[in-house]
Amino acid sequence: MSTQRPATGDRFIDFELPDHNGNCRRLSELVAGDATILHFYRGFWCPKDQAQFRGLVQLQDQVEVAYTRMISVSVDPPEVAAAFRAGIGARWTFLSDASREVQARLGLLETTDTVHRPYVPTVFTLYPDLRIQSAYNGYWFWGRPTTAELAADLRTITRAIRADLEVPAR
Amino acid sequence: MTRPWHWFAFRPERPDDAFATTPAFRQDGAHLGFLAAWKVGAGRKPVGALGIDARAIDPDGAPAWISLALAPERQRVLFDDPAVCQTMRVVLATSPVDVMSTLVRDPSTIGGAFTASHDPTPDDLADDPFARIFPRRLLRVDGGFVGTMPAPAGPGVQRYAGAPWPWDRF
Repeated sequence: MSTQRPATGDRFIDFELPDHNGNCRRLSELVAGDATILHFYRGFWCPKDQAQFRGLVQLQDQVEVAYTRMISVSVDPPEVAAAFRAGIGARWTFLSDASREVQARLGLLETTDTVHRPYVPTVFTLYPDLRIQSAYNGYWFWGRPTTAELAADLRTITRAIRADLEVPAR
Repeated sequence: MTRPWHWFAFRPERPDDAFATTPAFRQDGAHLGFLAAWKVGAGRKPVGALGIDARAIDPDGAPAWISLALAPERQRVLFDDPAVCQTMRVVLATSPVDVMSTLVRDPSTIGGAFTASHDPTPDDLADDPFARIFPRRLLRVDGGFVGTMPAPAGPGVQRYAGAPWPWDRF
């Protein structure tokens, strides 16, 4: 079992996890053909995650019209993820890795928190084929991407995957 | 699947050229008409038919309850109407059901929404968000018409190349 953390240029493993409603979802199915923000967070209890989510919920208003996806993953069980998602007003899919199997495969266990054993707060921006455009380690809050950095990544990915990014001449 | 959508209509008589049809009943058992689906490209578009996500129709599907919300025929409602976009957001924010497809009248106009559950009772459909903006009928159908599809990934509320939302790729 690999514990190598995914890095820029790698292809993400196509893991499968239950969503916030308990339905099994595969990463590639959720990404479909779009640029994607894949976000791993500690849990609802983390003030840094709460601050980051406030920014993501604002970004959602742009993402929803931009043929782009957002996915958030934690070790919280589905019912906790569902309650948190509803409470913050998120409309994207939350995935539950309560068994921590995917966390182990990705090497994203935050070893310094022996109480919650959460994910290391990490954000990846992905191409539709699950290649990683950027990886942001958010163990320290300022390691997390700003909205502007995410937008720049999404523009780069969109430019690569949309042949008509430059408006057709006729 | 060559196209991500089929043609769909609610008719007083059973059409003989549809690839899937089923009688539709009111909750009290009264027969209301027939639901029918045609494959796109298999002939001329049936008069008055609406585009529906192909995954919503399955000639081998289980019995189902359907919340059929239809825009009045003379009422032209754009998919980009803020009320329609907000209804999509509500769909994404609430628990998914077995099937949900908007109905496409023309490239820019919504004809309604088809929301279905394979549960033995219609309880999941009581608060169909599209019933807040369009008149809706609650219908029961036998097996052989309604499929199953994954919940939308969110947060996107835009359609892909004119396909019925939430079809998720170009």
